[in-house]
Amino acid sequence: MILAKLALGAVGTLAFATVYTFREGTIRVDVDEHRAGGSHVHFWVPAAAVPAALHFVPDDKLQQAVERSDEFMPIALAVVDGLKKYPDAEFVRVDSEDEHVRVSVKDGKIYVDVQDHGDDVHVAVPVSTIKDVLQNIADRKHAQ
Amino acid sequence: MTHDIRKSIKALSLAAAAALLLMPLSAMAQTAPTQSSASGGDRWLHVRVVSTGNKGETVRVNVPLELAEKVLPAINKDRLHNGKITIDRGDMGEIDCRALLNALKDTKDGEFVTVQAHDSDVKVSKQGGYMLVHVVEKRWTEGKDGKETKDAKSTEKSHIEVKVPMKVVEALFSGGKDELDVLAALRALSAHGGDTELVSVKDEENTVRVWLDSKSSAD
Repeated sequence: MILAKLALGAVGTLAFATVYTFREGTIRVDVDEHRAGGSHVHFWVPAAAVPAALHFVPDDKLQQAVERSDEFMPIALAVVDGLKKYPDAEFVRVDSEDEHVRVSVKDGKIYVDVQDHGDDVHVAVPVSTIKDVLQNIADRKHAQ
Repeated sequence: MTHDIRKSIKALSLAAAAALLLMPLSAMAQTAPTQSSASGGDRWLHVRVVSTGNKGETVRVNVPLELAEKVLPAINKDRLHNGKITIDRGDMGEIDCRALLNALKDTKDGEFVTVQAHDSDVKVSKQGGYMLVHVVEKRWTEGKDGKETKDAKSTEKSHIEVKVPMKVVEALFSGGKDELDVLAALRALSAHGGDTELVSVKDEENTVRVWLDSKSSAD
């Protein structure tokens, strides 16, 4: 019976951790250089892990961002707050013969898609994650 | 005991599955009102540049005016502060824009400026609550020696049409003496009802359109 309760606890924790992790969405980065020797990078990170992981980033790694935060922070926060109202929208689209750029928001995620002379870069980041990162930088600035 | 474990896991799986299934619904319920309000009352500024050059580039930019209104005051760089641009007196020469605007505001509809020069025609007028600017750049036919022939004819090199609601122009000049209140102009633009074509530029290679409507997409 004790074993059953332990198993229940472990599975319960795992289930709720999974639910929590995916509730915040994922950060996706896909880079494909379609040429000989070109690199291919594909990874996704649960967005929920970012705020926690940021606490372990040493100050010196974010020093430049913290120092320049006065310049960009009000603008970035205004954009991020403003974007909440537009869960599905295309803000920029550039199309030419061999270049395509798209900046859009869908389901609360910012998408940046670039196709340039056969190279593809796709980045998707939840808006809430960007706000968490900005908040972390702001907190570090206040702590200084 | 295994029955207990199996029963617990089953119950837990069902709970987790239910939570996962219901979460998108609750998220939708949270976003639905904002989405409808976004599509309902929002005004979008659209910019489209179509270039017919060798690469045939098309640029589309769609900006919700409300977002621009929120972001603009946050930008404090060079001459732009709190949504206002400081004008260098030297930029304006001896022109008193405010006096000019006041005069324009109180006069009836009509054409105020007409310039017919060798290489361009310019017209500025007021019509139905809008300030209209019309510019045509001309190109003259040239002889083999590169000089214009006596019976040379001009053709249209580029065509610029600007149509701005007078309230927006007034709001733009509503700030201090040496500043343009861009934020006030944006707010006036936002309050302006109906779809409006603000700027249209057409030359040999490029077509530029700036317009205002309530659609989030440019197409």
